[in-house]
Amino acid sequence: MIHIPSLKSTTKKIPIQKLAAPNMLYLPLTTYKGTLSTIVEKDSYVKKHQKVAASEGVFASSIHAPASGYIRGEVNIDNQSYLMLENDFKEVAIPAKQFTINNITEDEILSTLLDFGIEGSGGAKFPTHTKYNTGSKPIDTFIINAAECEPYLSADYTLLKNYTKQLLEAIQLMQKVIKASAIVFGIEKQHKELKPLILQTAKNQDIPVKIKLLPNEYPQGGELQLIKSVTGKEIPKGSIPANYGIVVSNVGTLWAIYNAFYKGTPYTNRIVTISGEKAENIGNYEVAIGTPVSYILETIGLTWNATSQTVILGGPMMGKAVQQPEIGINKGSGGILIIPNPTNKRYNCIQCGYCVDVCPQHLMPMEFARYSTTEDILQLKNFHVNDCIECGACAYICPSDVPLMNSIFKGKELLKATSL
Amino acid sequence: MSLNPYIKPKKGNTSFVMLDVIIALLPLVIAGYFAYGMQAMWLLLIASGCALATDVIFSALLLKQYRSALDGSAIVTALLLCFTLSPITPWYMVAFGAVAAILFGKITWGGLGKNRFNPALIGREFMAVFFPVVMTSAGIWATKDYIQTPATNLFPGLSNEYLSSYLSGLVYKTNGAMGEYSIALIALGGFYLLLRKRISWHIPLALLAVFFGSFWFIENGQNYSYSIAGVLLGTLFMATDMPSSPTNNYGKLYYGSMIGLVAFIFIIGKVSYEYMSYAILLLNGFSYKISEVFRPKVWGEKLDYKKRVEHIFYLTLSILGCTLAILSLHYYDMVSYLIYIYIAYIVLKFNFSFIKNITNPI
Ligand code: SF4
Ligand code: SF4
Repeated sequence: MIHIPSLKSTTKKIPIQKLAAPNMLYLPLTTYKGTLSTIVEKDSYVKKHQKVAASEGVFASSIHAPASGYIRGEVNIDNQSYLMLENDFKEVAIPAKQFTINNITEDEILSTLLDFGIEGSGGAKFPTHTKYNTGSKPIDTFIINAAECEPYLSADYTLLKNYTKQLLEAIQLMQKVIKASAIVFGIEKQHKELKPLILQTAKNQDIPVKIKLLPNEYPQGGELQLIKSVTGKEIPKGSIPANYGIVVSNVGTLWAIYNAFYKGTPYTNRIVTISGEKAENIGNYEVAIGTPVSYILETIGLTWNATSQTVILGGPMMGKAVQQPEIGINKGSGGILIIPNPTNKRYNCIQCGYCVDVCPQHLMPMEFARYSTTEDILQLKNFHVNDCIECGACAYICPSDVPLMNSIFKGKELLKATSL
Repeated sequence: MSLNPYIKPKKGNTSFVMLDVIIALLPLVIAGYFAYGMQAMWLLLIASGCALATDVIFSALLLKQYRSALDGSAIVTALLLCFTLSPITPWYMVAFGAVAAILFGKITWGGLGKNRFNPALIGREFMAVFFPVVMTSAGIWATKDYIQTPATNLFPGLSNEYLSSYLSGLVYKTNGAMGEYSIALIALGGFYLLLRKRISWHIPLALLAVFFGSFWFIENGQNYSYSIAGVLLGTLFMATDMPSSPTNNYGKLYYGSMIGLVAFIFIIGKVSYEYMSYAILLLNGFSYKISEVFRPKVWGEKLDYKKRVEHIFYLTLSILGCTLAILSLHYYDMVSYLIYIYIAYIVLKFNFSFIKNITNPI
């Protein structure tokens, strides 16, 4: 774990603004594990909130039109498929579904989560209906992940601050499914002003919640690290928290859940922080899923220019640099950051061990660099490359800019290719 | 294409790490100037100049890059080398030591960070092997005539004479190697590095605890003589050298304790000068293995402690075995052969193996 300057203060206080939907939407078809298949014809007309693509199986999901208009077919940008939707700005919507919250059944809740394409908003896009489908497993802690530990990002913070009541209603609703004995909010100390607000609102609504203040460290919002900080349980990567009596949900996801059941709308909008040294009109925006990066840049008064700036989709630690300006916002993107191009000062690894000190998974990242280049699969396995959560803390701290993330991705690929 | 993360800490790169080490060593340079004036300064300058030149020339020739040679590590090596030498060591020997340190201690390994042994100590051992007569003569420590500022009682206010002279000795004295004139300043440099997180407390604490603990444990421990300043200098600046020490905390604790133990064994085995360098160099050789054996427990992992204990046992056994071997070689005056073997090994290894990986950062 490591302290990283949070850089959130510039956007934290700015209320949520709505970004108008663009002329052309690029709806991402990539999901947690797989791709969605389009279920509408090319050039057909779709209404706002209509389902346009879906997938099946345990990790099934779907995506809906954020606006009415014409389907313009699939495109492949940077190895990911997108479905193009041309906005006709008529806002012809399918009628919002009405729910009677008081006697809604568990099954109805779960099937609606699937039907409305609700996915984890923290980045991994894990299908929410799968997460809450805990069956008969007893759940003792329902953790609300409000530790938005990525620098710059303040989308979850603004949601919690401005939609406290709504989020608590969503929590109460999900409690019908998981029936956890305790609800705990995990919040970083830097946001402790939220504590009285949440406690008071929860009291008014008669929901028993606890607040766990977490150290301002990265990656405190990593699911495994958060679980340990809140419950003391250290569970290995790849295990299902529900098996340990834990469900973790992200603030953004809860907001999507609220919109689904109280507004009757599927997951078509999310809150995105726009920030960074080179950004203008920074703040937290409500953005339609599928809004292309280039459109966002134009709206805030910038132009796409790959040589003078880097645009990141997501946070600065785990996000990805945007290569093609058309790519659309997906359900897991919490931020668009425009920053100066990073400069690398490459030296040899000096074995300082800083990467070991900061690794939240207690790995030895420099060994991945060593054995990825020699393609020593056995050693990569011995050093547990698969337990890496790709948080980037090691590469952040490395004084020699050793290409650690590269090695980690390569190492994981190498392991995947063998049966070891 | 650049990968995440896209932000970096300011002033955190490797040349800043080296700069911090140089800053920590500067007070000792000043103490050296105080004690031996330009005599000491010339040696430091010659060593630094030779080290830098060797680094630039051979990085360009052998590693096909020279930018990295200017990261400051050559200066660190040069200063540390001089700090283990007498201020009246002939200049050509110092130059030879500095060249050897960089060339055989660093470049032939593939450059900064890839070396398994502390370059400064490698340089020192090369000097000891190639100039054995001068390096072990009593004359080289007869420095009285060169002293610029004699040590005086710095605490005249204290009525207890023993205490005041003891304290004065901690702050400033004039005997010993160039880095040993002020225990207080050595400690100050160490604290600076600790504060800046350039070293962690694990190695120094374990080392000193085991070293002094061992002398306290045996009978007549006080009868053995060793240089406290030298031990401290080695502990804070050489045993903690990043490339040649383990990378995880338990590994560092073990490594530190073993240096302490091995140095102790060398002292009671009558290795009179080289105990610290031998101990550090020996453990340098095991450093990677130690990092591996003491790999931290991965998140959520169930460690096989039985296996780990077994590994530690065999590791300790091999370290102690090597200690006894070196002790025997020392007894028969054959340590020089180790250096010859080292030269042959590193030259072959460079030409047939390391050269292929010079563009790899590790
Ligand atoms: S090795 Fe993986 S988990 Fe550890 S710090 Fe690096 S990216 Fe994070
Ligand atoms: S932080 Fe970088 S330089 Fe330090 S040990 Fe890790 S990889 Fe090597």
